[in-house]
Amino acid sequence: MKAEPLVLERTLNAPVASVWDALTNNAKMKQWYFDIADFKPEIGFEFQFYGSKDDKRYLHLCKITELIPEKRLTYTWKYENFPGESAVTFELFEEGAQTRLKLTHAGLESFTTDNPDFAASSFNAGWTFIIGTSLKDFVEGKNNN
Amino acid sequence: MRRDVFQAIADPTRREIIGLISQQSLNLNALADHFEISRPAVSKHIKILMECGLLAIRQDGRERYCEPRLQKIQEVAAWAEKYREFWSQKLGALANFLDSENQPK
Repeated sequence: MKAEPLVLERTLNAPVASVWDALTNNAKMKQWYFDIADFKPEIGFEFQFYGSKDDKRYLHLCKITELIPEKRLTYTWKYENFPGESAVTFELFEEGAQTRLKLTHAGLESFTTDNPDFAASSFNAGWTFIIGTSLKDFVEGKNNN
Repeated sequence: MRRDVFQAIADPTRREIIGLISQQSLNLNALADHFEISRPAVSKHIKILMECGLLAIRQDGRERYCEPRLQKIQEVAAWAEKYREFWSQKLGALANFLDSENQPK
């Protein structure tokens, strides 16, 4: 069982088909997401993009690992020349004429250490502790010098 | 062995130590009393937390108090928060994009 520290949900004012198109059509992705030269909604398809036009330090390398049309899209997300690999999942739920989108970004903890021997299971418990517990509130509220 | 924040908090006993001293500084004895494991075992965990910069010992007369140094955890939490902000912004942009698509032309 993996900890999922990053989950966001949003209800969008558009039907599932429109949302799916916005997620998989690079002409549309360019308008709200990133400029991705080529994108084919196929499992195994690899694509890349820079996080920012002005900052070319972070080349994102991605590969589609899950694809259920109009339901679920997952691709790996890692950075060239940096260790670690994460996975981004978009899930769509039809709600009448609207769509609920659930975004999960898993494996972020793998970016924070360059120790490949560090077991993922060790991360998960610690990660949840940092992100998910009241310790975080304490840390944000208390002055520590 | 690398000593970093994740290594420190990978262990449940160490997490519990941090949790306890976050609520109030405890002297070494009081801290050790919380645990069933031996005193040397607790000391070893305290040492690891110190090496990772998450715990400091303050001498007060004869007592030595364990205090949290949570700057690093704060940094990790802040860093994770950046991803949350990033995605929140992107989903907002998606919502706006879809709304603009819906506008009658």
